[in-house]
Amino acid sequence: MKKVLFVAYQAPVGAIWVNETFRTAFGMYGEDIEPAVLLMDEAVTAIAERNAPERVGLLPVKIVKKYIEKYGTPVYAVKEDLEKFHVKDIDAGCKAQIISEADVKKIVRDCDFVIFM
Amino acid sequence: MKITIQVMKPAYTYEDLDTALHIAEAALKRGHEVRLFLFSDAVIGANKSIKPIKIDRVIPEKMKSLIEKGLRVDLCGICMDYRGLGADHVIEGANPSGLPELATLVESSDVFINLMA
Amino acid sequence: MVIIVKYGLYHEIEKRKMEFAEPGDTIVLIQNGVFWLLNNEVRKFAPEGVNVCALKDDFLARGYKESDTSEKLISYDEFIEILEKDRKTIG
Repeated sequence: MKKVLFVAYQAPVGAIWVNETFRTAFGMYGEDIEPAVLLMDEAVTAIAERNAPERVGLLPVKIVKKYIEKYGTPVYAVKEDLEKFHVKDIDAGCKAQIISEADVKKIVRDCDFVIFM
Repeated sequence: MKITIQVMKPAYTYEDLDTALHIAEAALKRGHEVRLFLFSDAVIGANKSIKPIKIDRVIPEKMKSLIEKGLRVDLCGICMDYRGLGADHVIEGANPSGLPELATLVESSDVFINLMA
Repeated sequence: MVIIVKYGLYHEIEKRKMEFAEPGDTIVLIQNGVFWLLNNEVRKFAPEGVNVCALKDDFLARGYKESDTSEKLISYDEFIEILEKDRKTIG
């Protein structure tokens, strides 16, 4: 089984990549692949309780929550980035595991392919 | 060896598709099986109606010449729909596909070269 | 692992990608990633024992000479050769 980490680093409001990162990760389940999603840098704002791209007419991010629940896709968010972007109220529905930068390296190195979107 | 190259940035605005085609050409020459997956704005690069000024390279033609040498090109179907690009608008040999096909490529490829967004 | 870096200096994510490297890994600088060769910036982030190389065409196309770097400049063919030996990628 291949381990593949999909990484979003751009903010979910202003660019489509957070949505595309989740969509691509969910698309892997038809094959013998273990996908995971890592949110780093500005992308960590995606799990903020009040984050709402739809407020400016963009595609919502929250639609991914039901698929995270359905597939049990591991979602990681970097602690240092959450602090940097003052993300305090986290949407529990995203089921994100908060990890340190040091743990990011372990996860990255455990993968066959790491795909930054 | 089977190599998949994923491109997400639009042709001509960025160098990504040029880089991908250079890599694909080198890999084909070394006898590898090469797949190109065009995602997001990169799908536009397969538009057969692209008409650059005379001194510029014609990326779809270059892509077509590599298809004739064994390159297989997959285009994200939803990305095409979003950009109004129909199957009849793209060069011969480029196949509208989707995430199930990408999952198959990820699973079956020995190497995955991702040109990040 | 092979780490592909395509954005230039001050791109926060590229810095972090390079910091994932461990001895034996290869960082391949492509496109504007070749700017990391200037003043040997790449070595501030690449730990000792990490191989660094850059696509020769991308470096020369940006106005530099081969003598402007002490790191290895490679062809696309050599890039594939690297991937034949180390198949795990970060891109």
